[in-house]
Amino acid sequence: MNLARSAIVGVGLLLGASAPAAELSVLVTDSHSATIADAVVSLRGEHDQPLRAVPSPITKIIDQRGEAFIPYVEIFRPGDQVVFHNSDRTRHHVYSFAPAKSFEFVIGSGRSAPPVTLDQIGEIAVGCNIHDRMIAHLYVSDAPHVAKSGLDGRVVFDDLPTGAYSVQVWHPQLRPGRTEPPRATILESTPVNLTIALSLLPDPRAGADDPERSKY
Amino acid sequence: MSFRLRLALLFVTTLVAVQVFTAVLVYEVARRGVIAEGERQLAAGADAVARQLDDISARVADNVHVLALDYALRAAIAQRDEGTLLSALRNHGRRIGAARMLLIGLDGAVRSDTVEADAVGHAFPFPDLVDAALDHPAAAVVAMGGKAYWMIVVPVYAPGPIALIAAGIPVDNDLLTHLQQLSALPNTLELISDSGGGHWTGIAHGGELTLAPELMATRRDLPLQPTVVAVGGREYVALAKRLKESERSAPIAALLAYSLDDALHPYHSVVLAWASLLALGLAGGLIGALLIARSVARPIEVLANTARRIESGNYAPAPPLRGLGEIGQLAAAFVSMTHAIAEREEHIRYQALHDAVTELPNRQAAEDGIQRFLRDSSQPQGALLMIGLARLPEIIQTLGHAIGDRVMRDASERLRAQSSGAFIARVTDTQFSLWLDHADADIARMRAARVLEILSIPYREADVSLDTAPAVGIALAPLHGHDAGTLLRRAEVALIAAPGAEHAVAVYDEATDPHRPERLGLMGDLRKALDRNELHLCYQPKLHLASDVIDGAEALLRWQHPQRGALPPDAFIGLAERTGNIRAVSRWVIDRAIAQAAEWARGGHALRVAINLSARDLDDATLPDLIADRLAAHAVQPHSIVLELTESAVMSEPDMAVRVFDRLAQCGIELAIDDFGIGQSSFAYLRRLPVREVKIDRLFTQALADDAGDRALVQSMVELGHRLGYRVTAEGVETAGALDFLRAIGCDHAQGYYIAAGLEPTIVQDLLASRAVRAGALA
Repeated sequence: MNLARSAIVGVGLLLGASAPAAELSVLVTDSHSATIADAVVSLRGEHDQPLRAVPSPITKIIDQRGEAFIPYVEIFRPGDQVVFHNSDRTRHHVYSFAPAKSFEFVIGSGRSAPPVTLDQIGEIAVGCNIHDRMIAHLYVSDAPHVAKSGLDGRVVFDDLPTGAYSVQVWHPQLRPGRTEPPRATILESTPVNLTIALSLLPDPRAGADDPERSKY
Repeated sequence: MSFRLRLALLFVTTLVAVQVFTAVLVYEVARRGVIAEGERQLAAGADAVARQLDDISARVADNVHVLALDYALRAAIAQRDEGTLLSALRNHGRRIGAARMLLIGLDGAVRSDTVEADAVGHAFPFPDLVDAALDHPAAAVVAMGGKAYWMIVVPVYAPGPIALIAAGIPVDNDLLTHLQQLSALPNTLELISDSGGGHWTGIAHGGELTLAPELMATRRDLPLQPTVVAVGGREYVALAKRLKESERSAPIAALLAYSLDDALHPYHSVVLAWASLLALGLAGGLIGALLIARSVARPIEVLANTARRIESGNYAPAPPLRGLGEIGQLAAAFVSMTHAIAEREEHIRYQALHDAVTELPNRQAAEDGIQRFLRDSSQPQGALLMIGLARLPEIIQTLGHAIGDRVMRDASERLRAQSSGAFIARVTDTQFSLWLDHADADIARMRAARVLEILSIPYREADVSLDTAPAVGIALAPLHGHDAGTLLRRAEVALIAAPGAEHAVAVYDEATDPHRPERLGLMGDLRKALDRNELHLCYQPKLHLASDVIDGAEALLRWQHPQRGALPPDAFIGLAERTGNIRAVSRWVIDRAIAQAAEWARGGHALRVAINLSARDLDDATLPDLIADRLAAHAVQPHSIVLELTESAVMSEPDMAVRVFDRLAQCGIELAIDDFGIGQSSFAYLRRLPVREVKIDRLFTQALADDAGDRALVQSMVELGHRLGYRVTAEGVETAGALDFLRAIGCDHAQGYYIAAGLEPTIVQDLLASRAVRAGALA
């Protein structure tokens, strides 16, 4: 499927043809064609409304183990809650200056922070003031369809209504201020494979043995 | 320039040339070494500068990075607490030594600036640094507000990138000086910036010196390779290295220069030592050269003096010069050359003064020797015998020169054998001279007799016996001459007379010398005599035998010489003919004789005047006109004169005589042949001439009275003359008998002492008068 063509002709051509289900597989790679994990892919159908509120809010736990946040990227719906748990034997000073939600907890070993309700959409970068390399990203999205790539760099949406969608990819190592523009795609009954290549900054979580990283 | 000086100069110039060449060579080598070293150092220095700037940026970046991790700062950034932020930036800037700190948003806009508050809200001027900073440390030299900064940009993470901090380290003179000190860089480090259009200007410089303004004023391109440049009269190796720079900033380069002069400075002491050594060497070399030149030139000067002495004829050996190698050899060669020249000159002198055949002194030597004696002797007396071998030319012509030479050699040996005390020389091919010191005429004659006795013995060779016909002429000093030349000449004159003399010996007799030089003086006197009226004419009357009347007279020339007295014509006419003076004399005679004829005619005496002409007068084509002119001038009839010419004169110039005589005859002038009978007149020839008269020579008439033969001869001559139509005159009539005979045989005229001698004109007139009286008495 040619993306350029779909971008031009896609919208409105298949209005009302919503009966059969379709499947979209997005492969996220870097500029060297290596697969990228933890890329968040959002789909918005042209008639989809943003999610206003989650009917059943979910609490997701971000664990801190081995001086790292696990997972690195977590997707939240507006209204969802996040709880930071410290599984290390050291103390962690978890903070966020993000406009969507800023907070600061000093979490003792084996303890958890109180739940934080994420009611605004946006990306919340979370760090530890004690351990510079501990970074997590909370991605609060109101997109109808949102998922993050696995280690294989693939995100698969199945059982989607056929129609035109805009596809947006986000990754924490995207260059600041240069969000990936949304792409239009048309889903038909046959599976659509989409490959999106991203140009990423170095992984800030890299270990002390990372020579590039060590320069800072 | 003397040899000594030239030699010394050669030494010195060679030394200087070699030294200067070596010095230039060494200097050039050193300079190249220094340049190569400079290039190497510059390349290393440029790398070091870049590396140090990198080090600085890394250190500053690390520091900034640490600052950026400050929680409070990050909180202030995230919470946009600008006041806190600015103070924190200032604080941290001071910590890390940055002169300017900026906070830049992720959108590239300046959020905070510790130096220029106005910059806030505007875009950061070097976005490329911001872009790069997220990937790796971004650092570059930038020009901001006329100053250079090493700008380092570091992102701030909280924990994702939220902003960037830019730290500006001023790259100023202090920093460059520090860099220079740190790395022991070459003596010039400067930062230059392209201020637009390739015009590079200096921004900062380490140390005191700045080359950039002068260097880059003259060139547009950077010396990116080590280049030797001259700035302010000093030489540098310069190298420019472009520094890491922002795309947006003006190009900036580090300019490193390495002073060749400074690098060569250590060599200055070497040069000084070298120059001193050269000066010392020069002085030493000069002195040595002078000494050597002296030791070489001295002997050469001695030899030159010797050569000059030899040139002047002094062959004394040169002073010995020993132990001088080549010079000594030269001196030895000089001595042997001197000897050789002396010998050769002696040989030449001998040859010049000696006869090769007889080995006797030659004429020159004889003359010199005699002259020397006459000059030096207190009693300059002596006799010179000139010994001639009269037959020698004949012998040579007959038998050849070889035998002639042998005859002469034999004669010379004979002379030498008895030449005790005599000085013998061979003066001509056929003559020897023999000089006797202090000898008088008697001794000379005795000696001559002995010489002739010896030489009279015929020369014998094989079967030939040759008589050389020796004769001796003698001249005596001082009687016949006071100098050798005169004596030789006079002895030779005497020798001419000797063969005819008794015993074949003759002493010089001045009277018989036809070659006396005073005769030449006579000619000068003759010319003067014409002017001074010393010449005069006398007239010898001619008697007409038939009528016994004197009807003519022969003009005879007389010269009353002031010193010599009366001179006969014979004494000077022949000489005048030879010296070309005869014409003037003849003209004078013609004029005077015609004038006299005119005078007599006026006096009533019809005398025909006879004028003697010289053979030389026949050459004178104007003679007939001259005579005609004179005749006209004195109103004399042509037949009143007769021109007499000797038979020999006529015969010597026959053709000319015919022409002249014809013209004279046309004028009506009668001609007579003088001295008839003793010359070689051809009658056939005489017949061609318009001659009217012949004069029988006195030779035939003197003995006429006694000699029957002469009488017959004279009678025949008279008859012959008459038959041929000539009048006949007899000269030299000295007796009455002769006169009577002549009258008897019908001779026309007689002339002679018996009738009258040469008389003065007035006396002639008197004579005529008296004869007229007598005739009248007889009648």
